[in-house]
Amino acid sequence: MNEITVKFTLNGEEVSISAPPYFTLLRLLRERLGLTGAKPGCERGECGACTVLLDGEPVTSCLVLVPQVEGRRVDTIEGLSDGDHLHPLQQAFIDESAVQCGYCIPGMIISAKSLLDNNDSPTRDEIKRAISGNICRCTGYVKIIRAVEVAAERMREDEI
Amino acid sequence: MKYKYVEKRIPRIDARDKVTGKTLYSTDRYPEGMLRARVLRSALPHAKIIKLDVSKARELAGVEAVLTHEDVPGHNGFGIVTPNWPVLCVDRVKYRGDAIALVAAVDEETAEEALSLIEVEYEPLPIIDSPEESLSPDAPLIHEDGNILHTMDIPPKGDVEKGLAESEIVLEQTYKTQFMEHAYIETEGGVGVYNEDDGVVTIWCGSQYAFRDQLQIARSLDWEPEKIRVIGSPTGGAFGGKDEISVQIHLAMLAIYTKKPVRLHWSREESIVAGPKRHAMTASFRIGAGHDGVFRAIDVKVVANGGAYDTISGPVLNLALESSPGPYKYADSRFKGITAYTNNAMGGEFRGFGAPQVVFGVEQELDKLARKLQMDPIELRLLNAVEEGDISAIGHRLNTSAGIKETLVAAAATSLWKDRDEIKHKLSGENRYREYGIGVASEWHAVGMGVGIPDFSNIIIEIGEGGAITLRTGAIEMGQGNLTAYAQMLAEVLECDISAIDVIHGDTTACPDSGSVTASRSILVNGNAIIDGVSILKPILIKIASEKLGIPEDELEYGDGRVFSRNDSGIALTLADIADQAISSSRSLKVTGHAVIAISDKDFGDGLPHNYYTYITQIALVGVDTGTGEVEVIKVISIPEMGRAINIDGVEGQCEGSVVMGQGYTLYENIIVEKGEFKTTSFSTYILPTALDVPEHETIIVEKPEKTGPFGAKGVGEAPTVPIIPAIANAIYDAVGIRLEKLPITPEYVMEKLREG
Repeated sequence: MNEITVKFTLNGEEVSISAPPYFTLLRLLRERLGLTGAKPGCERGECGACTVLLDGEPVTSCLVLVPQVEGRRVDTIEGLSDGDHLHPLQQAFIDESAVQCGYCIPGMIISAKSLLDNNDSPTRDEIKRAISGNICRCTGYVKIIRAVEVAAERMREDEI
Repeated sequence: MKYKYVEKRIPRIDARDKVTGKTLYSTDRYPEGMLRARVLRSALPHAKIIKLDVSKARELAGVEAVLTHEDVPGHNGFGIVTPNWPVLCVDRVKYRGDAIALVAAVDEETAEEALSLIEVEYEPLPIIDSPEESLSPDAPLIHEDGNILHTMDIPPKGDVEKGLAESEIVLEQTYKTQFMEHAYIETEGGVGVYNEDDGVVTIWCGSQYAFRDQLQIARSLDWEPEKIRVIGSPTGGAFGGKDEISVQIHLAMLAIYTKKPVRLHWSREESIVAGPKRHAMTASFRIGAGHDGVFRAIDVKVVANGGAYDTISGPVLNLALESSPGPYKYADSRFKGITAYTNNAMGGEFRGFGAPQVVFGVEQELDKLARKLQMDPIELRLLNAVEEGDISAIGHRLNTSAGIKETLVAAAATSLWKDRDEIKHKLSGENRYREYGIGVASEWHAVGMGVGIPDFSNIIIEIGEGGAITLRTGAIEMGQGNLTAYAQMLAEVLECDISAIDVIHGDTTACPDSGSVTASRSILVNGNAIIDGVSILKPILIKIASEKLGIPEDELEYGDGRVFSRNDSGIALTLADIADQAISSSRSLKVTGHAVIAISDKDFGDGLPHNYYTYITQIALVGVDTGTGEVEVIKVISIPEMGRAINIDGVEGQCEGSVVMGQGYTLYENIIVEKGEFKTTSFSTYILPTALDVPEHETIIVEKPEKTGPFGAKGVGEAPTVPIIPAIANAIYDAVGIRLEKLPITPEYVMEKLREG
C-alpha cells in the first residue's frame, strides 16, 4: 500500500515522516522513528504500556492511526527528561523503587504526567484513577502510587 | 553486624534507563533489513493433520521463508524436563497453541497474508477437556505412551489411616483451582540474527535461563551450542512463564534459513493461547487433629491438568505436594499426585510453582479447625509450627533457618489482628450493605531446585582499568531486582562503591552459567558465588599490591576497597592502582566464583525435598458486598522471613507485587478453556487487578539469618504470592460465613454461596 507523509511535533521538534496509513502511532514511533519507549502490550488499548501524550492528553498509541497525528503534538517518554536532568516523576520512580521489570513504566509515567500537568495536588484516589488504564504486573502499584505522590510534592515545592 | 549496602533501601541500578525509556528489551530491537515472522497455530484443539501445503504461501511476493517440521534439522521438540512439545507439528495437533508452520516476510502484513495461504486439512480427534476425562479407562490417548504425564508419591510418614482414625477431629474437603495467565506486559518475543562470517546465530529473547535456551535450540538445530548465542535479559516480566522455550527455536531456524535478521513477537492472544499457564488443579485434603489443637495426620491428593505437553509439569506437581502440609508438624502424612495430559491450556511454570493451588485449600482447613476449637487461628498455627531442627510433615529434618513462628508472633502483634473486632465493627457501622472480615494464612516456600537437580552458579568478577568493577552473571533481570541485589552484595564484600559496579547479565557469550532464575534461588546461589569470587580475588589483589609496594604479602591487608600495610595504613593501593599494575604486567584481575545450593539429607526422588524455605504469614482485611457479592481487599500485611533482607525496597516490592498477583488469582483471573477453545484471549475478558483494586499494603520483615546463605539470606522469592490467597478466603468467611472451594471467587460465586446460606 502507498505510504503517506505526516507532519507533527514530536517531543518539541517538527518531524515529517512516511508510513502506511494503517500504521498505528505506536508502530510509527517504534518502527520508523526509532523511539521504543512506548511499548506494545496488547495492541488493543487494554494495557496502557504504549501511552503517549497527544496534544497533552494521554492516549494509547496502539489505537491512534498515523493520519490522526497530522499537525498535532506528540510527547513520549523520550522527551520527558531535559538531557541528564530527569523529570520529577522519573526521579521519584527511581527513588521510591517503583520500577521492577520496567516494561509498563514509560506508559505509567506518561499517564501520571498528564495527571500532574492538570492537578498539582492529586489525592491518592485521583492518582489511582489516572493510572488505572496502565497495567503493571510486577509492583502491585504501591510504590508507583507513592512515587507519583512524591513527585507531586517535589513539583509543588519547586514552584514555591 | 552493620552493613553498608546490604539490608538497606538501595535504588535499582537499572531504574534510570527504565524510566527514561532507554532500556532495550528484546522486543525493542529492529535491526536494519529485518524480516517479520509469524507462526501458524492449530485451528483445532486435537486433530490429525491430513494435509499441509505451504506452496501458495511460498509463492507470495515478499515471503522469504515458510518452514514446516521438515525444516527442523534436529530433535523436533522442546521442554525443560521431557522435550515432547513440538517445534513444528508433524501429523498431529494437541492444543490450540500448537505451531504448524513459520513464515518470515518483508513486513507484518505480508507475513499475515502468507499465513492465510497455508493450507492445512485436519481430521478432528476427540477433545480431552479435563484430567478426570483424560485418566478414565476408555479415554483416547493424547500421547502414545499414555495420558499420565507424571505421578508422585512422597514416601508416607507414619500411618495416615491410623492417624486419622485416632484423631478427635477430622476435616475433609476438596478444592479446585483454575488456569492462570502470567500476563507479563512484554509478551514473548525477540530477534534472531545469523552471522555468515562466524556462523553464529544470536537470539535476543525474553528468557529466564539463556543457557538452557541455548541447549534447547542446539538440540533442535543439531548444532554445537557454541554457535548459538542467547541474550535473554532484561525481560519485561516473566513470573516463571519465560523459563521454557517460546520464540527461540523458531527465530533461530528463520534467521539461519533467510540469512537475514528476523523479528517474532507474539500477540497478546497468542501469548495467552500458546504459552504456559498456572496448572488447574484439584486438591483433596483429610486432616486429623486433637481437641488440644495438635495436628496429627494429613492426607493429600492432587490431580493436575498438564495440558498437551510436559514442559515442567512434574516438578510443579512435586512442589505442590511438598508445599501442601505447610510449615507444620504432623506425625502421619501421605501425599499423592497425578498430572494428566489434556487438550486445553498448557500447564507450566508460574510463580508459586504449584503451591498456590494447594495452600488455598489447606489454610482454609486450618481456619475451619481453629473455629471448631474456638482457638485463635494464629495460636493454632503457632502450636503446630516447625522450628529449625524439627522433622517436617514430609519427613525431612529442617536443617536451615525456619522462622514461621516469628512471623506468626509478629502477625499476632499487629493492630490489624489485635484490634480486628473493633476495626470490623467500625467499618460495618459506616457501610450498611457490606460485611468485613479479617483472615490469616501462612506458608513455607521451597528455595532452590531440590535434591538431585543441578543447582549451581558461576559468576565472574573483573577489575579493569581505573578500578572499574564488572560482575558477569548468566542470571536474568526480569523485574525482581536481582542485579541490584548482586551489586549490593558485591559492593559489601569488596568494600567498594556500588556505583563502580557494572553488571552484565543473561548473555551466553558474555557471562558464565549461573543457573536458571527460578525456584526463588537466585539471591541464595548467586550471592554465595559472589562471596566466593571475592574470597578468591582478595589474595590476588594482595599479591599484586605486594609486588608494587615491595612489602611482603603477609604484611598487607584488604579493607575499604584497597590493600594497605598493616604497619602503616597510610601505605595503600586502591583497586584502580592494583588494576593498573596488573594491566601493565599483562595480567587480568578476573576471577570466577562458584556456589552450589546445599541439599537435604533425604531423597524422595524427582527433586524432593528441598533444604531451604522462605516462611511467610499474611493477613487480609476484606469487605464483602452482600448485595452484589463483590469482594474488596482493603488491607494486607505480609510478614516474610527470608533469612536476611538484601534490599528492603526489593523485599517490599516483591511482597506488594505478589499480593496483587495473588489477589488477581483469588478474585478475578481465569483462563477459561472449553473443549479446548480459549474464551479469554484479551485483557477485556481476562481481568487483571488495576491500581483501583489494590489494597493498602504493609510489609513486616522478619529476619532469621541462615548460616549458609549470603549475609544470612535465603531470598524472599515467590512466597508472598501464596498465603494471600487463603488469607482472602478466610477473611471472606470471617465476613459472611461462606467457605469457598474453588477459584476465582467471583461475585457470582459469592452470591451463590450466600444464597445457599
